[in-house]
This record gives sequence, C-alpha cells and structure tokens, in this order.
Amino acid sequence: MLADRAKAMQRVCFDAEPSDADLELLGSRERWLVYRELVQNRLVEVINVALARTKAAIGDESFGRAVAEWLSTGGPKTRYLRHVPVELADFAIPIWRDKEVPWIAELARFEIASWNVRHAPPDPEPESELAFDRRPVLSSALEIIRLEYPVHKRPTPAAGYEPDSTFLCVYRDADHRASTKTLNALAADLLDAWKRADETVAESVQRIAAKHQTEIGPAFIEKLSAIIAEFIIGGRL
Amino acid sequence: MSRKISTEVKSSVEGIGLGLRYDLATELLERRPETVSWLEIHPENYVNRGGRYQQMLDLARRDWPIVTHGLSTCLGALEPFDGRYLRELRSFLSDIEIPWHSEHLCLGGVQDRFFHDLLPLPFTDEAARIASQRLIEVRDAIDLPLALENASYYAPQCDDGLAEADFVVEVLERADANLLLDVNNIYVNGRNFDFDPKAYIDKIPPDRVVQVHVAGHFLRDDGLRIDTHGEPVPNEVYELLDYALRKIGPVPVLLERDNNVPPLDELLAEVDELWTIYQSATEAEHAR
Repeated sequence: MLADRAKAMQRVCFDAEPSDADLELLGSRERWLVYRELVQNRLVEVINVALARTKAAIGDESFGRAVAEWLSTGGPKTRYLRHVPVELADFAIPIWRDKEVPWIAELARFEIASWNVRHAPPDPEPESELAFDRRPVLSSALEIIRLEYPVHKRPTPAAGYEPDSTFLCVYRDADHRASTKTLNALAADLLDAWKRADETVAESVQRIAAKHQTEIGPAFIEKLSAIIAEFIIGGRL
Repeated sequence: MSRKISTEVKSSVEGIGLGLRYDLATELLERRPETVSWLEIHPENYVNRGGRYQQMLDLARRDWPIVTHGLSTCLGALEPFDGRYLRELRSFLSDIEIPWHSEHLCLGGVQDRFFHDLLPLPFTDEAARIASQRLIEVRDAIDLPLALENASYYAPQCDDGLAEADFVVEVLERADANLLLDVNNIYVNGRNFDFDPKAYIDKIPPDRVVQVHVAGHFLRDDGLRIDTHGEPVPNEVYELLDYALRKIGPVPVLLERDNNVPPLDELLAEVDELWTIYQSATEAEHAR
C-alpha cells in the first residue's frame, strides 16, 4: 500500500535511526539511506545559512544534535524551504535557552528575525496616506524584538555577550538585506502597536506615552516626527 | 478533461529557456541575453514573498515570458490538498500570466510534513490512480493546464509494478494530461536501472509533451547518478534531447541549473548548444 510506504519513507528520512523494518519494506537499504542523506542535507543547508552565527557559537556538534532532534519529530511542516529555519528555531530555542549560555537563544532569535524580514511577504498597499486619525500600515518586512543581550553587535565577543537590554527594529532595507535600528522602550512599544494596527496613530501615541509617563510635549513631538519621517522615507511606514 | 493551452500564450514560450535562480539572477537580469527566450520559476520561491525575489520576478517579466514549475504540490501524496495554498497558487499564477504550470510525479510529503525533495512513487496501479486524480484536482483548482514531470529515482521498484514509462503514460492517459519530459531524469534512471532511455521516449505520446527539461547530474564513486542540476549537461543527455525532439517536435526546452551555478557565460554556452540541437532536430523531416 502506498500509505504504508509513504510513512516508512518519512521515518527513514527523519527518524533518529531508520529502522531495519522500514528499510526492508522500501526495498533497498543502501539507496534509501541515500534519500535520507539528500533530504536532510537540503534542510540542514538552509538552516546553516539562516543560523550561521548561532551554529558557530554553540559548535557543530551541539547544533547538529538540535537539528537531528527536530528532524526526528517528523520533518518540516512548511512547504516553503525559507520557513524551515523558522520551524527549527521554534523547536530549538527553548532547548538552547535551557542548555546553552543565556545569550545563545537571544542570538538565534535575532538571526531568525533577520531571516524573517529578508523573506517577508510584499508590503501591504495602504488604503490612504498616513494620518494621525487612521490606523498605520507598517511594512511586512519589519520586526520589533527585545533582547537581553546585544547580540546584533558583531563580531561575537570571544567571551560572549554581557547582559544589556536592547530594543531593536529589524527591517528589510532597500538592498533587500536585514538591517537594525536600536530603539528606546517607548519607541519599541509604539512600533509594536503600529505593527498590530488595531488602533489609530493618535490612540497608540497617547496610550504608550501615558504608559511610559511621558508628556506629549515639543520634545516628544520632535522625536516622533523624526521616526515617522525616517520610516516613511525608508518605505517602512 | 485536459485543459487546452492557449495558442497565443503558448507561442510566446518557445525555443530555449533558463531557470531563474537566485545565484544567477543578477547577471542574467542585467545582461538579458537574447538567446534565452523564456524563464522558468518555482512558485514556492515567490508566493507571499517580497524583497529580492519579488524584484527578480518583476524584472524578469519585463523581458521574458514565464513558465512555472512546482515543487510541493506533488501528485503522489495521500492527504487532501491544502486548499489555502491552492488558492494562493491560483492567484499567483493568474497574476503572472503563464501558459501552463507543471508538477512532479512523485511523493513530496506525508501527512502534514514535507520532504523538500522528490521521493519516488511505486509504479503501481494504485499510485497511478491517486496521482491522476490529484493532477485533475490541482488542474481544476488553478484553472490552468497542468503538466506532470517524470521524476528521477534512486531506489529499485517493486517487482509487481509497471515499467516507469508505462506508469507515466498511465497517469497521463487517466488524467488526459500534458507532460513535461525531463530527458536528464530519463537518462539518469536508465543508467541507474539499466534500461534504454530511447525506448522510454518511444513510449511517450508526442502530442502530450508541452515542455522539455535538460540538466546535468552527479556521478557518485559507487556509480549511482544523482539528479543534482549541479553539473554541465553531458553529451549523452544532449544526444537524448536530440532524439526526443525529433519525435515530439519544437516544444520549449529548459536548461535547469540549481546548484554549483557557474558564471552566466558558461550557461549561455550550454544554451547555444541546446539551440543547435533544437534547430537541427525540429527542422528534421520527421518532426511534427
């Protein structure tokens, strides 16, 4: 039956160790191990590109164990190869958070955010120009992340990163690469709200200024205008 | 019932094409070589994706007709299709105005998991029934002609199945479908499993072929040939292309190069070789 063969193929390609029974069912141990190698190599290749710094930081062996453990859950659920590293990261970051030094999981989060914005969908078409009484439309290729370590700073220090809370806007730039802009806590909350787009610009500004006990005075307006102008010019708003 | 290919759109996809791949896109899109008549893309690389891929496709469409070749809607799986993806695929294909879409005759996933590779179907009546039904379902969903591609395979088939060519023809006939004939896959399978590639081509109904793929492959130390699309096209595959075109006539031919991508000039030399074969073979007396 095709169903039995298909499930055996899945186990041979993804299980930690392919079973003799599955290899016997499929008919050629040697050739099905070739398939296992081809399937896993393609996935590992894209994961290695997306999480290159994380892999370098924790070493091939530890990184490879996490990938193998993830593969043994049955293989990727996504049809898009570009989303494979995201699935691996969803699985492995909690493991790395438990087993590795604390900044490793943060580095993986940052690398995946950078990968995501590079491959994000096209930007939505805003129905109208930006106005304070309308909901903002941010670029699809933009993520706001809060890190406990400044892992966006390169190169990775030999002794690792020291704790330093960091707010980042990670976005796809004009050359289609992932760039970062460091934010303060208020700007990060504001951009988070704009990303959600469930309130108008004015509502979000008032709510978040109040949350941060910040007066909406000339200095605030000046900084707000500057970030809006920068985002409009950069095509991110 | 088979979807007929629009003559107007089809006529713009002819001669020799090249796969649009990230590694060669910059040079290809800048130089826009006239010997490349059309481009092929994998929709999975472009659906819901902005940035460089969106830019590549926009630039490509200014200068070339586009044909699409799917990787993930494989025809051999058992689970129901992802309806959302089929709707997105239909919308994408409609936007870029293609004459036909193609998919692989293989198993690409199990349950909700994807191999991201092309695993072989057994050449059985059960698999032919499933694949032909799924082909019709996808064709209806995208509302376009859908060609299946004969795939490469590396593991021996069960003894009680059909010969590969008979299996492919069985699916074509059941679904009244078009074929994307991959001559490299036939060559690779022929060498790996000791059959005559020309005898395979002789079994294919010429009128069903709408497109041809040509590529290079990797020869392992143990003699197994792997369809990597990462090597130059070998002479034996050129010869098989010539043989196929003399039987099926002037259908568009695509040079696939997905890995180990060389400088563009090396690919264009292969394109020139393909043009020489294409013109010689399709001007032959017996071409349709």
